[in-house]
Amino acid sequence: MNSAQTRKLITLTAIWAVLLFAPFWMLPLGGYTALATRVLVLGLAAMSLNFLLGFTGVLSFGHAAYFGLGAYGAGLTLKFLAPSTPLALVLGMLLGGVCGALLGALIVRRRGVYFAMVTIAFGQVFYYIAFQWSSLTGGDDGLRGFSRQPIDFGLFQIDILSNANNFYYFVLFCFALMVGVMGYILRSPFGRTMIAIRENERRSRFLGIPVERHIWIAFTLSCFFMGFAGALYALVNNFADPRGLHYSQSGDFVMMAVMGGMRSFWGPLLGAAVFVVLQDYLSSVTVNWMSFVGLLFVLVVLFFPRGLLGFIQRSKA
Amino acid sequence: MSSSIFNRHLDRRTLIKGAAALGTFQATSPFIIQARGETPIRMGMVDPLTGVYAAPAGNEVMGAKLAVEQMNAKGGILGRQVELLVEDSANDVGTGVQKARKLIERDQVNFMIGDVNSGIAAAIAQVTAEKKILHIVSGGHTDSITGKDCKWNVFRVCNTTRMEANSVSNVLFTKYGKKWHFITPDYAFGHTLYEACTDDLKKLGGTVTGNELTPLGTTDFSAYLIKARAANPDVLILLVQGSDMINCLKQVVQFGLNKQIHVAGTQQELESLAGLPPEARVGIWMFEWYWKQPGVAGVEKFVADIRKVNNGKVPTARHWFGYTSAMSFALIANAQKTTEAVKLAAALENFELPDDVKLQPNKVYYRKGDHQLMTSAFVGEAQSKGKDDPEDLFQVDEVVAGDKTAPPVSETGCTVRWPS
Repeated sequence: MNSAQTRKLITLTAIWAVLLFAPFWMLPLGGYTALATRVLVLGLAAMSLNFLLGFTGVLSFGHAAYFGLGAYGAGLTLKFLAPSTPLALVLGMLLGGVCGALLGALIVRRRGVYFAMVTIAFGQVFYYIAFQWSSLTGGDDGLRGFSRQPIDFGLFQIDILSNANNFYYFVLFCFALMVGVMGYILRSPFGRTMIAIRENERRSRFLGIPVERHIWIAFTLSCFFMGFAGALYALVNNFADPRGLHYSQSGDFVMMAVMGGMRSFWGPLLGAAVFVVLQDYLSSVTVNWMSFVGLLFVLVVLFFPRGLLGFIQRSKA
Repeated sequence: MSSSIFNRHLDRRTLIKGAAALGTFQATSPFIIQARGETPIRMGMVDPLTGVYAAPAGNEVMGAKLAVEQMNAKGGILGRQVELLVEDSANDVGTGVQKARKLIERDQVNFMIGDVNSGIAAAIAQVTAEKKILHIVSGGHTDSITGKDCKWNVFRVCNTTRMEANSVSNVLFTKYGKKWHFITPDYAFGHTLYEACTDDLKKLGGTVTGNELTPLGTTDFSAYLIKARAANPDVLILLVQGSDMINCLKQVVQFGLNKQIHVAGTQQELESLAGLPPEARVGIWMFEWYWKQPGVAGVEKFVADIRKVNNGKVPTARHWFGYTSAMSFALIANAQKTTEAVKLAAALENFELPDDVKLQPNKVYYRKGDHQLMTSAFVGEAQSKGKDDPEDLFQVDEVVAGDKTAPPVSETGCTVRWPS
């Protein structure tokens, strides 16, 4: 085993240990379990966006739409179809992913700023649908009247509604599942092709890689992950809200990814953690907390162009 | 195995980094909870201090702070001092829910107040019900909070949209005419308000000449106003809110529409009237609370107290919401000599507010059955300039008691389910 592998192993162990014991070490530091849950969910969303942004190299500014669709999918399932948490997660993911697949086919023809603008436009379409379709989505008041259900294993049940720690570990399990799939895809030949497209699109095209199709697949997969994160978010809040589909939410996700480091796999999780914890802490202290979050973002972009994680990794090497 | 990980030299850079980290840790150390001595009673408040509702939310917080100051001067709750913890929901449901959990799980609050945004208020209510915390919704108006989504632990101070509509409908119909034309913001809140108004109008026997649905954030209302004028109604009803209301009223006056048709609406806020040029302060409205009530006990003192902390400005309805919400907790807890939520919630049913808290002439109480505060509606006309105070922008004609504007409990769709 060489040193690079050892270091990787140690880093991975450290990350998972930190996540596994979060409910224990956060309390004495003044945190609380629900905060850790939120970091995980938004971190998964930022990592899903980064699947596209960091590894395929195309910037989507409308990913909140698929996040929000996932949330509504989960909420509507729990409210109208069946009181089953796993079903809600699956259907939420499907709603986000399928919409992403359909629209992705139209969007992938554009590049650069045009790509970003078309994604915003489609994202806002979903925002206004959720905002206006009051009879189904509850409009501006949001979709409520559902709550996450206990996980039923036949022999025993796990209560994830009233026990914050149980819910945290449930979310962590889902997170690990998705991150595992994401990592597996990125290590596959398909993942390598994505990176090739990011590095040099023209060259990949000359090599005979169907670039559009690959970007479409990456976009679709990213939307599936995003839909899953959104479904989890609906379970966190027991609520779905049109603002979750708004482009400003997409902006937050991009910010998390860029702040954490969009070239690295774990960067967006760090970015989300910094963003959520900073927001939580600063907004209790001052109403001008947004200025400070913005300032940090500017500083990161100016001085650590590879993001916080990129900076940490480089200073180690 | 590489030596670089385990056997690093302690060089200058590492030392500086370590020192910096230690310094940061020191600076942020209030983040760590310090050991507590005699624990104060804690009141949590979640309100959108940033975003479009920042102004009303800030006023609610100011009112609640005043209430906490006053109750501490009188010995607090059950002899313990009261601490108000305010959190910003940033007008976002996810953040609001998270802040509510933070207040309950980490800070162990006994009571909860919030939110101005009805959607967030409803989402927080789910959390407080689950955690068994007594919760007063200070400023979210959607019917369902004390209607079909009502909860055993949730009470509301401000009016429901239905109450707002009912309070003005009668006056408008009898005094100003039976043909109404509406300008409605095109989202859930506007639609419910429109429904409430048209229901009243149908009961009274009037007609709707039309309804203009305007997107949120409309700046140019001219097309809608021309259509409204062509329909020739007796009354033009503006249901838009906030900056939309300001833009719409300005244009109504520019078009001279207020000279041909009576301009009216449901809820109006002092904040909005103050934001208008003097000539555009027109129309018949309802205020949820108004600061100028000659001869009503306690009002003058409250106005003077708020002026001290509000740069000399008078309190708005929002100040009163925050004040009354916080005061209700102190009153009921001191009366019952407990902080247990279920007992307090039961005692709050039909609990009548004393003069120095209700600050209005009629009987004010939390109604048993739906937990809605039966607070009065101040119906009257906007005026461009006050006689002796520049902030007296409203002439109150009638103070309608809450039990006259609120529909009976059986019509609210509320059935309170108590925890077993």
